[in-house]
Amino acid sequence: MPIELIKLIPWIPLLGAVLCAVCCMKPAWRKAAGPISVLSIFIPFLITCGVYSAASGLQGDDKVQTIYQWMSVGGFSVNMGYFIDPLTMIMLFVVTGIGSLIATYAMGYMKGERGYARFFMGVSLFIFAMTTLVMADNLVLLYLGWEGVGLCSYLLIGYYYEKPEAVAAAKKAFIVNRIGDLGFALGIFLTYMTYDTVSLSVVTSKAVAFLSDPNYIATSADLWIPFLLMLGAFGKSAQIPLYVWLPDAMAGPTPVSALVHAATMVTAGVYMIARLIPVFQLSPYALPTVATIGGITALFAGTIALCQYDLKKVFAYSTVSQLGYMFLGVGALSSFGGIFHLFTHAFFKALLFLTAGSVMHALAGQLDLRAMSGLRKKMPVTCWLMFAGCLALAGFPFTAGFFSKDTILAEAMVRGTGEHGSNLYFFLALMGLLTALLTAFYTFRLWFRVFMGPEHFEMGDDHGHSDDDAHGDDHSHAHEPHEMPWWPMNIPLVVLAFGAIFAGMIVHWTGWMEHSIETSTAQPAIALNIQTDPQPTPAYEIITVSNTTDTHDTATEHPAAATGHSAEHDRAHGIHILMMWISSFIALLGIGLAAYFHWLNRPLTDKVAAKFGMVVEVLYNKYYIDEFYDLVIVKPLRTLGHGFYRFDQAVIHGLVITVGYIPRLAGWSIQPTQSGKMQGYGLGMVLGVAIAALLVFKWAF
Amino acid sequence: MPETVMNSLTLSHFLMTGAILFCLGLVGFITRRNLIIMFLCTEMMFQGVVVTLVAFSRFHLNDTGQTFVIFVLTIAAAEAALALGLVVLLFRRKGTLDSLVWSQLSG
Amino acid sequence: MEQYLEYALYIASVLGALSLALMLPKERPGIRFIGPLLGTAAMGGLWLFLACSGIWDGRESGLASGSFIYYYLFSGIAIVSAVKVITHTRPVYAALWFVMVVLASSGLFLILSAQFMAFAMVIIYGGAILVTYMFVLMLASQSTSSDHASQAYEKVATEPIMASAAGFLLLAVLLSISFDYHSVDAARAPLDPANTDAALIESTLANRPLKAVKTFVNNAAGEPVEVISPAPPPNLDPTRLANAERIGLDLFQSHPLGLELAGVILLVSLVGAIVIAKTKVPDEQHAASG
Repeated sequence: MPIELIKLIPWIPLLGAVLCAVCCMKPAWRKAAGPISVLSIFIPFLITCGVYSAASGLQGDDKVQTIYQWMSVGGFSVNMGYFIDPLTMIMLFVVTGIGSLIATYAMGYMKGERGYARFFMGVSLFIFAMTTLVMADNLVLLYLGWEGVGLCSYLLIGYYYEKPEAVAAAKKAFIVNRIGDLGFALGIFLTYMTYDTVSLSVVTSKAVAFLSDPNYIATSADLWIPFLLMLGAFGKSAQIPLYVWLPDAMAGPTPVSALVHAATMVTAGVYMIARLIPVFQLSPYALPTVATIGGITALFAGTIALCQYDLKKVFAYSTVSQLGYMFLGVGALSSFGGIFHLFTHAFFKALLFLTAGSVMHALAGQLDLRAMSGLRKKMPVTCWLMFAGCLALAGFPFTAGFFSKDTILAEAMVRGTGEHGSNLYFFLALMGLLTALLTAFYTFRLWFRVFMGPEHFEMGDDHGHSDDDAHGDDHSHAHEPHEMPWWPMNIPLVVLAFGAIFAGMIVHWTGWMEHSIETSTAQPAIALNIQTDPQPTPAYEIITVSNTTDTHDTATEHPAAATGHSAEHDRAHGIHILMMWISSFIALLGIGLAAYFHWLNRPLTDKVAAKFGMVVEVLYNKYYIDEFYDLVIVKPLRTLGHGFYRFDQAVIHGLVITVGYIPRLAGWSIQPTQSGKMQGYGLGMVLGVAIAALLVFKWAF
Repeated sequence: MPETVMNSLTLSHFLMTGAILFCLGLVGFITRRNLIIMFLCTEMMFQGVVVTLVAFSRFHLNDTGQTFVIFVLTIAAAEAALALGLVVLLFRRKGTLDSLVWSQLSG
Repeated sequence: MEQYLEYALYIASVLGALSLALMLPKERPGIRFIGPLLGTAAMGGLWLFLACSGIWDGRESGLASGSFIYYYLFSGIAIVSAVKVITHTRPVYAALWFVMVVLASSGLFLILSAQFMAFAMVIIYGGAILVTYMFVLMLASQSTSSDHASQAYEKVATEPIMASAAGFLLLAVLLSISFDYHSVDAARAPLDPANTDAALIESTLANRPLKAVKTFVNNAAGEPVEVISPAPPPNLDPTRLANAERIGLDLFQSHPLGLELAGVILLVSLVGAIVIAKTKVPDEQHAASG
């Protein structure tokens, strides 16, 4: 397959979006939107597969595929160009592959909805923006995709625009993302000022050159760029402190949650940091900060997920938590770990969300864990599909999640121990382990609650779509839970389940991804460290001299950490093996605890929960973070805005009104002259002539 | 007073008469409400202009001034015919010659 | 006294405006004699000033001696009549006073030795146009003559003060321009040598008949018939052109296009007048009442 086809990848979904928009026009055409959308995502997936080997082998300038010059202002020019390397290809795999599976599922899930075509228009548009994001050759184009996915996220969260909470969630997502995007935009500006270009390949190669230059002195821009970019990544990928939008975003349709808010869009931040890791390395605090925020977010969101009763909320917090893992991974300089986890997470989280969607569908919109139990008889397929997803999420040995999570934890542990070891990374690794326990526990808490135990369920109040023809093979009981049809809903899930179980194994044992990511620009530090000696570059020393010891060790050790020295390598290998054992144990422990508390002995759970009522209450209310933000940010802003509004009403508006009165007053004063009486006009003429004569002849103007 | 002083009539004198006639016609046009009188006043303004033209003609020894009086007469005659026809028309509509009756353009 | 001329003009204008404002018809007329008194004072004072100021010393008017008396006479008549035209509450009388204005200005034309104009004025204005006005006035006032309430518009002037002020402001400006000493200086232009009687006779009227000529022309039967051309006036000076002759020459030689246009305008107005006269108008009053 010719490599040029890759240029078509973003445009096919865009075409699909336009066709879907056309489909919106006539009710008869609306049914066509689903297949169009699926095709518009599936064809890019086929292209991705077809050109994979050719694209991965691109070298040097061939990696940049330019379509046309987008804009050129003075010395600043931006191309509509794509940067093709293995990292991009993996992201494309995730976006188009998972995207087409989820879109296929959505064909069944959304059947009979009023905004069917609108939904698929949004999905196709989202894929366009997301592929643009991951393929962008420069930061401006990346920003285009970045904002594009934000827009599509807004549109899709607000899909049920009649529901106030959906609208509020959409707005919340949009506004919180604005905060992050502001940082991102500033970061791009600063990057342009510093590197004089926005091209990703140039920026990263320049950063690598700076890193390898012992005489390079880091500027303050080098320190600030990563933090500004990081802000964007935290906003988009829902990390502390900007994570609050993601749980609310579950107000959108479930396939959207699976596609946008679990598998693809929220990982954009991880992708961006992995892509720009040399730039982040220039600042000694950037990657530790990323790792710390990631670790804290992972644990924090994990604890919240423990006590949520809303099916999708649990998965939402779980997503936040897993994203934290990814950040921990890239923060620990293991972009492979981050991307690997991104890859596997896309499979199993999409699977989990979609099975949750099936449950929700079956129970007519019911999402409350307390209102369902023992559904495995009613929905056996869904039950076991979700089980596969849960295993992967919990990190059950040899599932996908197990390998990727283990990679991250082990890399963090490698950073945290050894001769250059940092306490920070050590603690982060421990936090990761604790999070892994929590993850296993809350995941299986959910699964046992829903599918095990005595059969009991309450239908939701969303009868609207249990009466339509969405349930083609199900005529007998519209008010009973029922299994989803195989096509188009369960088949994609089976594919995802295979991915969730085996993707990790394939990647781990074949090692193709590790190899390709390490050779891509995402991990130039490795290439760098092969050729330079492992002692810290002077650029870091300059900064560390004047700073606290807390960051000193992290700053000094990391170029050394990835060294190719065999002793270090052996130590890392040992830690990997060790971490595998530990995390297997932890996963099994978590699953066991969950089984005990939520399957075998539920009354005991209630007793324990009652005993720790306070804690449960706090966790159930998500640490009151929303309330806290409301109090600290929203309320003062609202008060301020109210004040401004008052000011506007009184002063600005008053001023405008006053200005408006002037012509009215003028009109009012000369209105009587337009009386329609001939004499009045005659008088005006006479006065005019007299005054003109006076001016011309007497004063000789 | 010397005879010569009394005897000196200049262009200005005639211009003054013309101007006075013109301005009186103007004032009349503004103040009177009878449509016919208003047109009469415009004729009076013509009269002032005619006096001015003839005076100029005489003092500048150029016959074109008087020639133009003929044109003024032509216009006055044409205007009288048309305007009076219109006045009769208006009068037939409203039964009055008051110009204020026709102030429908009032803003 | 030259320096006071300007002020005299302004004072006269203001007084004139006041008097006119007082004289214009009002709903409640004040003291009747003040207006005319003021107007007379203003006009008389100005004339006295002009006559006695001596600023025209040594200026040859070129008019017949003693014509200044006629100037003041006709001017006075014209102005007084004009005031009567705009102050009289009865339209017919206003029209008659306008005839007076025309006659007086014809007198002024005679002073200015524009005889043709003077008589043309009397015939066309005083005769034709004013008669048309009278006809229309009678036609219009016929139906409503009995209705005195509807005649209020004749009795009350609109905006008398503003109108007088504006009119006399314009008058003051015009007067101060026309009495500007320096501009008056160039008032008398030398006669264009190509425009002298002799030159005109030489160029265009070389063989004009100066006495009756007898010629013979064959009639239809072929017999010669004696034709006598009209005799010229007995006091005709062969070296001078009459006023009418000069105007005719100027009109037909210098302004042929204007002449044609004037003819077109007359034709158009003729057609227009007929169209207007034939227009059928719904009688709103009758329609409303009946």
